[in-house]
Amino acid sequence: MNILLSRLVQAATVAVLVGAATFAMMRNLPGDAAWRIAAGRYGYDNVNAAAAEAVRSELGLGGHWFPAFLQWMGNLFRLDFGVSLVSGQPVIHEIAHQLGASLWLALAAVGLSLLIGPPLGIIAGLRPGGLFDRALLVVSTALKAVPQFLMALILILLLSVQLGWLPAAGYGQPRHFILPALALALGLAAVNARITRDAMASVAAQPFYAFAQWKGLSRTQVLWRHGLRNVSVPLLTYLGLQFVLLVEGVVVIESIVGWPGIGHALVHAVFARDVPMVQGTALLLGLGFVLVNALIDLLAARIDPRGVQ
Amino acid sequence: MRTAILSRPQPMGRIIGAAILAVIAGFALLGPVLVPGDPFAQSLMKSLAGPDAAAPFGHDHLGRSLFHRLAYALRLSPLIALAAVATAASAGLVLGMLAALRGGWTERVLVILADALLALPGLLMVLIVLAIMPGTATGFWAGLSLVLWVEFFRLTRATARATLASPAVQAAKLLGFGWSYIFRTHLWPEIAPLMLTAAAFGTATAIMAIAALGFVSVGMRAPTPELGLMMVELLPYWREAPMALLTPVIATFALLLGLTLLAGGHKP
Amino acid sequence: MLIPVRSLAGALVGLCLALPAFAESAINVAAPFEIQSAEPSTTGHIFTRMGIAETLVDADPQGRLLPGLATEWAVSDDGLTWHFILREAVSFHDGSAMTPEAVVNALEIARAKPGPLAGLPIVAITPEAGAVVITLTEPRAALPAYLAESRSQILAPAAYGADGQGLAVIGTGPYRVTALTPPLSMRATEFADYWGDAPHVPDVTYTAVSRAETRALMAESGDADFVFNLDPATVTRLSRSDALQVHSVAIPRVLLLKVNAAHPFLEDADARRALSLAIDRAGLAQAVLRYPEGADQLFPPAIGAWHNRALEPLAHDPEAARVMLENLGWAAGSDGILTRDGQRFALSLTTYPDRPELPLVAAVLEQQFRAVGIELAINSTNSSEIPAGHQAGTLELGLIARNLALIPDPIGTVLSDYAPGGDWGAMGWQNAEIVALAQSLARGEGDDKDRARISAILQDELPVIPIAWYQQTLAVRAGLEGAVIDPWERNFGLAGLRFAE
Repeated sequence: MNILLSRLVQAATVAVLVGAATFAMMRNLPGDAAWRIAAGRYGYDNVNAAAAEAVRSELGLGGHWFPAFLQWMGNLFRLDFGVSLVSGQPVIHEIAHQLGASLWLALAAVGLSLLIGPPLGIIAGLRPGGLFDRALLVVSTALKAVPQFLMALILILLLSVQLGWLPAAGYGQPRHFILPALALALGLAAVNARITRDAMASVAAQPFYAFAQWKGLSRTQVLWRHGLRNVSVPLLTYLGLQFVLLVEGVVVIESIVGWPGIGHALVHAVFARDVPMVQGTALLLGLGFVLVNALIDLLAARIDPRGVQ
Repeated sequence: MRTAILSRPQPMGRIIGAAILAVIAGFALLGPVLVPGDPFAQSLMKSLAGPDAAAPFGHDHLGRSLFHRLAYALRLSPLIALAAVATAASAGLVLGMLAALRGGWTERVLVILADALLALPGLLMVLIVLAIMPGTATGFWAGLSLVLWVEFFRLTRATARATLASPAVQAAKLLGFGWSYIFRTHLWPEIAPLMLTAAAFGTATAIMAIAALGFVSVGMRAPTPELGLMMVELLPYWREAPMALLTPVIATFALLLGLTLLAGGHKP
Repeated sequence: MLIPVRSLAGALVGLCLALPAFAESAINVAAPFEIQSAEPSTTGHIFTRMGIAETLVDADPQGRLLPGLATEWAVSDDGLTWHFILREAVSFHDGSAMTPEAVVNALEIARAKPGPLAGLPIVAITPEAGAVVITLTEPRAALPAYLAESRSQILAPAAYGADGQGLAVIGTGPYRVTALTPPLSMRATEFADYWGDAPHVPDVTYTAVSRAETRALMAESGDADFVFNLDPATVTRLSRSDALQVHSVAIPRVLLLKVNAAHPFLEDADARRALSLAIDRAGLAQAVLRYPEGADQLFPPAIGAWHNRALEPLAHDPEAARVMLENLGWAAGSDGILTRDGQRFALSLTTYPDRPELPLVAAVLEQQFRAVGIELAINSTNSSEIPAGHQAGTLELGLIARNLALIPDPIGTVLSDYAPGGDWGAMGWQNAEIVALAQSLARGEGDDKDRARISAILQDELPVIPIAWYQQTLAVRAGLEGAVIDPWERNFGLAGLRFAE
């Protein structure tokens, strides 16, 4: 119960921080917010004084900051995120639209990374110090050093431009998933593989593991019964921590390949100074992190009840 | 046997990492001294032309020397990153010590704040701060400092709590040694190696963030030579001049690889 | 136990690769414009381009006005009352009939929002049997051209909410929307009750892809059949591909330098002429834009009578520029930058990255101006900084891509930008003759000599410094026939496209 309470406090603090930061952003926009928003709405051919005036009168920009701040936070805690300054649609509606695309991409990336990383980690962990283990160390170190946007660039150049195997952008068909998911997954897999390898190596060195083999179970059976269960806890905990990394990757990758998710929306909202959208997306990402980690706390406690503090 | 089981910071890796970084720093600082040139000077006649004596890495789409642009870019991002890490490390160290020493509400509030910041994607924070702050370089510095201090804070607090409770420190206190003595002899030797690892990771994170935001056109602005920006500028010319695009790609990879190796092992 | 996992992954990847690239019955369009919502004042240009919404008046590539939803129009002798006869038996996508009342409703809503109609001297728009009557307080000969602008599109009454906000796109075009998912995509299918010829290809999709490189890659991979607006480097590359046809046409859009003529350094016309002489237009055009030549006057040749062949072309002569600046009292300082009365000739140039070529051109200008002793600080920022800086009087130089034909008649832009000045036009500069000429042209008086005269004044005084005339570029998949580029940027012409047998 204590875990949940601390997660709840974390969630509330996230909300306050996001609210205060986006409020500051709204008040401190360099230049005039009405102009920025008008540019976002009407485009560079048609933004002019009349358009900016229309925005200003519609939004009522201006006034003292303190009552505005109280109202801002009040709206936030009533879960009223307002309407997007650019599209005029309710923020919650816009986010609901875009969340699906991002979730699928994130799930595909995590899934792909779990297909690549842990199997390699287990093979390496069963023979620590072996040739495969050392090769994996070199490869995973190199992969960790490649930021996701660079990975996306390399994959686009290699798989789309040079080989023509995969579309570089687009959305809606399964084949559109491969490139962005792979760009995210390779970095995650590099770390997954190391975590799995360490966990596997320490499990395999435990007396009970040798005992299980000695009592006549096959290698596969031992791995299945004793190995994977013990490997899965650190892996799971780590996945929770990776969520932030994943979200960051999603933000950048979506912008590169034109994926209609919240990351793309966020970069655009920042660019067009659409503060309610920034607030909504930031809040969703922050609370998503808290939720995922709360679930992982509970799940980890189920798999391995010893580990609960 | 234990070392073979768990991947620990590998001294060999650290040496290689430091060597890579030394080569990059040498290039960034000395390159333009050896081959003088201007990273901004254009010559449209030399658009995408190959290497020559004044431009050993060839020219970009506006005929600017890639050698000098790269050298400038390799000063800019690391400089911002180091400034942010230095700020974050000092803030994290001070606040972490404060939390460990004072305990109570001070500690609780700081921990809650750090936990909340941990839940927010760093790039998002940097984007918001960039939107508030005037000037891109100061915006990056402020945003990255805000993101990075949490790691240093957590490290310092955890280490300091453990060390302060140790018999050695209790004895020193009884003997009447001052806090600065206890810090220097007991705390700092414990914290320093962790700080080095965290600083290397932090620098890598900061450089990645600057390049990633440059690449999606919300970071540094043209014509500033910046690694991500150079990549996105040269991307359309990939078919005509692949080496021009690969130059910043390879440099970024080498820089981040060097930092990752220097940090050694896993993120603490 | 690891084998099944790996073969599963292999199978997944194989399955995905084997999927067909596109369905033959649909045209996939990729363009840079994001869909904001169903609101015509912000996203309407996408709806007209995609053949979903239509306007009363249409325009051909030469700029001649054609019947659209109005079959003919006439103006009273005093030029104040316009009758637009509506096309009969037109229905909206929701099945309702296009009545005169519905048209008036759409135009009134459009007029209440920022846009070209808002600036017109309209007294009333009233329905009549089979027609719409627009009454003005002063003659406006180009009114039909204003009604050809995308924000004057006619949507059904059910398309708007109580406050006039667009809620759904219920147009009259050959395609009707089946799915609108802002900000990136839209699907549409053939509208069975369309009044004109049915489209050849029954389905169309629209994808907003803001990065030019990505659009180019989609064209190459076959993910998009119709890619609008390519970056210069891509055009060269795609032209060599057999799988694509690249179309390119001159459009009435100009890359120009907006100058604050009230600035003490720039108030003398000779200072502006010197800036113009410092620009190497040919080099810039070839290296950055990959066009054969730059602009030697404001109006491109494609724009008819406004292009004045008799004008002396704008030239590149840095030596002459230096002499001119010297005569204005400027002298080179120790670092090569000119100074006068202790002030450095340093200016800030504002531009925006929405069009990727602008920051590049700005970087080149910075060097070319430095060569004559002028220091530029480039500020690449939000496009709204240009009109905002204009209003505040703080803008010094602005590098912009100006559409001279927001309506298919340049008089609209001339009126808003140069008679006397405007957010995207002349700043701190006024010319009584241009105002008089433009107003008489707007009333429907005057002739081509007046248009040529306006060009001549702008060429001599240089309130804005033209740099290059734009080409619109388009990549269409080989096998898709009938592509036409609309230089007025109003229509993709999808209904006329067909797949070759």
